Amino acid sequence: MTARATAIPAAFDPGRAEGRGSADTARGFVTAALLGWRMEANWTDPLLFFIYSVAKPVASALILVFMLEVIAGPGARDLRSFVIVGSALWAFVMSGMAGLAWSVLDDRERYRMLKYVYVSPSDFLVLLVGRGVARIAIGAMGALIVLAVGVVFLGLRFDPGAVDWAMLGLVLLVGLAAIVALGVILAAVCMQTRQESWSYPEAVAGALFLLVGAVFPLAVLPLPAQAAGLALPLTWWLEGVRMALFPGGRSAIGGEGSLWTAWTGSAAPDGGAIVGTLLATSLMITLVAAAAFRVSERRAKDRGLIDRTTGS
Amino acid sequence: MSALARPAAGTPQADAAWDRRRVFLANLRSVGGRAYPRVHGLFREPSWVLFEILLPFLTTSAFVFVYRALQAPPQYVGFVVLGGAMTAFWLNVIWMMAAQLYWEKDQGNLELYFASPVDMMSVLFGMAVGGLIMSSTRAAVVLAVGAVVYGVTFTVDQWGLLLLVFFLTLAALYGLGMMLSSLFVLWGREAWHLTQLLQEPVYFVSGLNFPVGRLGFLGALAVAIIPLAVGLDAMRQLAFAGALGPTGTPPPEIEALILVAMAVAFTWMARVMLRILERLAREKGRLSARWR
Repeated sequence: MTARATAIPAAFDPGRAEGRGSADTARGFVTAALLGWRMEANWTDPLLFFIYSVAKPVASALILVFMLEVIAGPGARDLRSFVIVGSALWAFVMSGMAGLAWSVLDDRERYRMLKYVYVSPSDFLVLLVGRGVARIAIGAMGALIVLAVGVVFLGLRFDPGAVDWAMLGLVLLVGLAAIVALGVILAAVCMQTRQESWSYPEAVAGALFLLVGAVFPLAVLPLPAQAAGLALPLTWWLEGVRMALFPGGRSAIGGEGSLWTAWTGSAAPDGGAIVGTLLATSLMITLVAAAAFRVSERRAKDRGLIDRTTGS
Repeated sequence: MSALARPAAGTPQADAAWDRRRVFLANLRSVGGRAYPRVHGLFREPSWVLFEILLPFLTTSAFVFVYRALQAPPQYVGFVVLGGAMTAFWLNVIWMMAAQLYWEKDQGNLELYFASPVDMMSVLFGMAVGGLIMSSTRAAVVLAVGAVVYGVTFTVDQWGLLLLVFFLTLAALYGLGMMLSSLFVLWGREAWHLTQLLQEPVYFVSGLNFPVGRLGFLGALAVAIIPLAVGLDAMRQLAFAGALGPTGTPPPEIEALILVAMAVAFTWMARVMLRILERLAREKGRLSARWR
C-alpha cells in the first residue's frame, strides 16, 4: 500500500495540470490567437473577408462625413479630419472590446467548449485575451483602411514627416492595454449574462463613444459628462493618437467651454499631460478589469454559469 | 380498449390528417410559444434594460451632440432621435429574425422546428411578435427620453398617415427579416459576418442621421429596396412637416405604397424561399450541420 502510494506521485507530472510557467502561458496565448484568427478568417476567401471587415468602419465614417456635409458643407475641412480620425480609431476600440466578450459567448453558447477551455492547464484569462487578438487585428486593419480612404478620397491631409512616431508608438501601446482591459470587463459581464449579450459590447462602446470626444469636442457636453470623459483612458488615447498623427489639429479635450480649459487655463493638454494621464487611467482600468474578472469567474463557478447555454 | 384508443386513426397517415381547425390552432399556439421566451426573457434578465435601452440611448445621444457641435437646425436632432428609435427594430430584424435560424441550427433546435407539425412561417411569425415587443420598448424609450432631454418638437399634420407608415414599416421590416432568415438556413459562419455588414452600411445608405435624398442615386436605390430607408424618410416628412423643404424623395403617400409593396413582396418571398431553401438544405444535409 505504501509503495503504491509513493509510486503514483513519482509518475505524475504536475506540469500537465498546473502548466509549466511562462513558456506554457506564451504557448497557450499563441494557440488561442491562432485559433481566434482562423475562426474569424477561414470561412471565406481573403477578398470577401477583407470587404466584410472594412465595410462597417468605412460606413461608420461616411455617416459622420455626410452629417458634416449636410450641415457645414465642404468648408468644414478641419472638423472633417477630426471626425474621420476619431471614427477610424473607434473601429479599433469596438473590435478590441468586442473580441474578448464574444469569445466567452462563442465558446459557451455556440461551440460549447468553454468548460473544457476552463479546465485546461492554461490560464483562462490568457486564453481569452489570445482569442481577442484576432478581432483586434481586424479592427486595426479597419482603422487603417478608414484613414487611407480619408486621405485618398475625403481630403484628409497626412504628412508622414510630421508624425511624432515615438509618441504614436507609446500611446498606441498603452491604449491597446486599456482597450483590452475594457474587453476583459465586458467578458466578465458576459460570463454572467445570457446569449443575447452579443450586443452588449457594441452598446458599451456606443455609450463610451459619447464621452470620449471621438467625433466631437468634449466642450459641447454637460460638465459632469466632460468629467466622466476625462476619467476614461480612451479620451486620452484618442487625443494622443490625433496629436501624434496630425500635429496642430483640433483638440477634443480643450477649447472654449471645456472643463479642461476651465481647470487648467490652457487651451489644450500638451504631450506630457496626455501620456501621463493615459498611463494613470489605463493602469486604473486594468486593475479594475483584473478584479472584476476574478470576481465574475468565481461567481460563474459558484453558480454553474461556465457551461450554461441559453436561448430566446 | 381504453378511452385513449382512437379507432379512426389506425395509421400514421390518418393521425397526421388534421382538420383545418386543428392546423390553425396548432399554428396559433406555435406563434405564442415562439414569442413566449422573448417576452418572458425580458423579465428574467434585467441587465437588458441597461444594455439594450440605456446604453443605446447614449449612442444616439452621441450623434445628437455631433449636430449640436455643428450648430445644426433643431429638426436634425429630431432626425437622430427618430433614427435611433428605428434602429431598435432594424437590429432586432437582422439579429433576432434573419440570423435566428442560423443560431437555432447551431443550438440543435432547427431540426426540431422542421420536424414539428406546424408551418415554419408560424415559428417565424412568433419570433417577429416577440421581437417586436422587445424592440418597441427600446424604441419608445429612445423616442420619449430623446424628445424630452433634447427638446425635439414634432410637428405632425397627419397622425393617421404617420401611424400607418410606422406599422407598414414594421410589416416590411419583419417581412424582410423572415425572408433573410430562410437564406440564413443555408449559410454557415458567413451569416454572422453578413449580420455585421447589414448594420452601419445599411444605416449609411438609409440616411439614418441625415436626409436620405442627399445620397442621390444611392439614396433613391435604398428607398426602393430597404424598408428602413423608405419608412424613416416617410416618417421624417410626416413628423417634421414643413421643416425640411424639398427632400428629393417621393411624398409620404407614395412611400406608404412602396412599403405596402415591400411588406407583401417580402412576406411572399419569405414563404417561397423558405420552401426552396428547406429542400436545398435537406438535399445538402445542412439542416443539422452545425458550426460551419
